[in-house]
Amino acid sequence: MNIQKIRDEASRALGRKDVKYLIGYQKGSYGFRVSPAFFQTKEEVERLIFSPLCQVSLAPYLTLEEVVPLPGEEKQKASKVALLARGCDSRAINQILAEKGIPRDRLFIIGIPCEGVIDRRKIEARFPSVTEPAEVREENGKYIIAIGDQSHEVPKEELLADACKVCRYPNPLIYDKLTGDKVAPHQANYDDITSWEEKPLEERLQFWLDQFSRCIRCYACRNACPLCYSTVCILDRLDPQWVKRSNDTSENLMFHVSRAFHLAGRCVSCGECERACPMGIPLMKLNRKLEKDVNDLFSYEAGKDAESKSPMTTFHVEDREDFIL
Amino acid sequence: MSEFEPNIVAFLCNWCSYAGADLTGTSRIHYPPNVKVIRVMCTGRMNPLFVVQALRQGADGVLISGCHPGECHYLKGNYLARRRFMLMRNLLGFIGINPLRLRMSWVSASEGKKFADVVTTVTEDIKKIGPQQSFTREAV
Repeated sequence: MNIQKIRDEASRALGRKDVKYLIGYQKGSYGFRVSPAFFQTKEEVERLIFSPLCQVSLAPYLTLEEVVPLPGEEKQKASKVALLARGCDSRAINQILAEKGIPRDRLFIIGIPCEGVIDRRKIEARFPSVTEPAEVREENGKYIIAIGDQSHEVPKEELLADACKVCRYPNPLIYDKLTGDKVAPHQANYDDITSWEEKPLEERLQFWLDQFSRCIRCYACRNACPLCYSTVCILDRLDPQWVKRSNDTSENLMFHVSRAFHLAGRCVSCGECERACPMGIPLMKLNRKLEKDVNDLFSYEAGKDAESKSPMTTFHVEDREDFIL
Repeated sequence: MSEFEPNIVAFLCNWCSYAGADLTGTSRIHYPPNVKVIRVMCTGRMNPLFVVQALRQGADGVLISGCHPGECHYLKGNYLARRRFMLMRNLLGFIGINPLRLRMSWVSASEGKKFADVVTTVTEDIKKIGPQQSFTREAV
């Protein structure tokens, strides 16, 4: 992955009259941290980085911008937001576009084929308490990790994020400019889901009740999710109050079921929710179950193009109904 | 100890199943008194989360009943409901809630007998599974 090419593309994008700012990454303050950053001018692009440590998805920032209503007949200024998009980000963008969450002409997408990112938990477990800034690059299936003046080599498989191991769309599906060479996709693998479904019901319920009871309801999973952009989220509503604010297992179960179900047929499996969870609850397991079902039952995959209709708002007369009495 | 009597919430669509249940009564057909009926305008109006809420708030099972496919008063409400509850049922099973606690049926306004049969089946199934107590909402 050539960082200079990405920087060139970024400064070209910022040179355009209609681009307001660019969303990218910059070095974090310590260790393996990388933070999302906003770039207004061409000079700032020197700060821009892109490495396997850039795990955070940038797509959620698109729907966070406040659009102030204008008086009378005045129209919003036609300005674009540029952003770096990997495969999963581009699927999230596609899905948002399909739901008409944001107009296409407000986006300038710089697509980056992605070889997979590092799971921060895995690398921090391997190199604990690193405070000086570290850099990582990928070479021949290995990560070269530079901490201070030391250099380490770690096989890619050991640090790769779980979501990336089964990524079917590492190449951006929607973009205005593409940098870099295309990457071979991984195979979809739902073995963990099918083997889970063979376990007895009581064991499954006990596992999930244990997991849900650990939830502290910080809603980090919701905030990190590129598709959780509703302005009125049912979790914030007081009338009707679907989920009470008290933190007990029953309320947590309701929260997690509604979070997962609202992403049915919309989740692009970027793994952001699980990454953001401070308690390490396996949220992707629920998402992947729904993803598998939507794929099997309705042959639909989220975010493949910007026109498709959500499987929850359409139907086939021949849909399966063997569960109906 | 007396036998466990399940508490079943039945969401019936206004145009078919509710009228069907009415016919069951007027035809003097006996069915188990465990169902509490909530009338909704269409099964498509049902938020799948209603099911989880009902199970949390004291129901041992949920029955959803609507018009037969193709006979929906709003043309496609039951088709949409079919998809949603299919997924919801799978998701509940995945987290270990017995899928038999969520049942769905098509009962038209003339099928009084079928409604009685459906309620009998659902009640008997839930009697076998036992009460839902693992994630009941705390009383306020």
